[in-house]
Amino acid sequence: MNFRSIFTRKSKSSNIATQRLQLVLTQDRFEVGEDSMKKLQFELTEVLAKYFEFTMNSVKMSLKREGNSYVLMADFPYNQSNKLR
Amino acid sequence: MGKVIVITSGKGGVGKTTSTANLGTALAMIGKTVVMVDADIGLRNLDVVMGLESRVVYTSMDVIEKRCDLDKALVKDRRVENLMLLAASQRNRKDDIKPEQMREVCEKLKQAFDFVLVDSPAGIEQGFHNAAAGAEEAVIITTPDVSAIRDADRIIGLLQHQGIESISLVLNRLSPTLVKKRDMISKNDILDILNIDLLGVVPEDTGVIVSTNRGVPLVHNDGSPGADAYMRIARRMTGQRIPIPEMRDENFFSNLLNWFSRNK
Ligand SMILES: Nc1ncnc2c1ncn2[C@@H]1O[C@H](COP(=O)(O)OP(=O)(O)O)[C@@H](O)[C@H]1O
Ligand SMILES: [Mg+2]
Repeated sequence: MNFRSIFTRKSKSSNIATQRLQLVLTQDRFEVGEDSMKKLQFELTEVLAKYFEFTMNSVKMSLKREGNSYVLMADFPYNQSNKLR
Repeated sequence: MGKVIVITSGKGGVGKTTSTANLGTALAMIGKTVVMVDADIGLRNLDVVMGLESRVVYTSMDVIEKRCDLDKALVKDRRVENLMLLAASQRNRKDDIKPEQMREVCEKLKQAFDFVLVDSPAGIEQGFHNAAAGAEEAVIITTPDVSAIRDADRIIGLLQHQGIESISLVLNRLSPTLVKKRDMISKNDILDILNIDLLGVVPEDTGVIVSTNRGVPLVHNDGSPGADAYMRIARRMTGQRIPIPEMRDENFFSNLLNWFSRNK
């Protein structure tokens, strides 16, 4: 039992804030709503799912600022068990 | 030839005016010549925060409409050498000054001063574009909360679109205690999300309120955490390499817990 964790377990509102920010900023930067984002994510995953196994909701998408433009980042968690089909 | 830096933000009330007053004063204290321009027309308060309100006679509007010369409109701060203020008109509206007029004033000021700091209205307000018009650099102020950071992101996009290349961030009102308890978004998470250069971090400091009450910028009163932070930021603005310290947590109890978990 970690002594510190008794006091800090519940207070992680910063994590929630960071996640909410990432989502809302990606939508702002794309200038689209959550629906279109979900659709894009779904279709991208569909294509990749022909080759790898994914669980839909493990995929994360974001737009990252790089200098004066943005880079689309999509994270598809990959491990040895989801081999190329 | 000096440079024109606009101090701006997406959201209102995050500390633009406080930062302009303190950075202006700090830069003058380390020997630079500085003029602060209040571009928050109709909501002017830089003069009040600086404690110079009773000495304002002319405003930038008077200069633009040729009722007085630029150098006559500048109010001299008597507490430190080489620090001036150009006040905003309280009677006019935000869009009464056109971008070209703002550019012309800034252009003239930078011939005579090392730093021209422009205190801008918040980014979603009218007048933001005018305030930024004469600037080649921008300092974005944000507090560590979701809505302020979201709005900061919008403004960074707008400023880049406007052709301002050097954009840096000041994170204001960070509470080390809350960061430690993980109830405040951390500096690194914010930088990761916004992906711009960090100019500095200013802690939450109750001294800010006292100093605003008195009309004496915090940096006059050395030793306070906020004053130290602003002094370091000013030095960085002059090109000195000053590391950004990790914040100390003043909360005794949480330090004690840290000590316990390290020494298990
Ligand atoms: N680091 C700080 N610690 C405590 N209070 C602060 C700090 N920075 C700003 N404030 C307070 O926040 C309020 C808004 O600040 P201000 O500089 O007027 O913001 P803005 O110009 O962006 O609208 C003021 O009451 C000010 O005293
Ligand atoms: Mg202000």
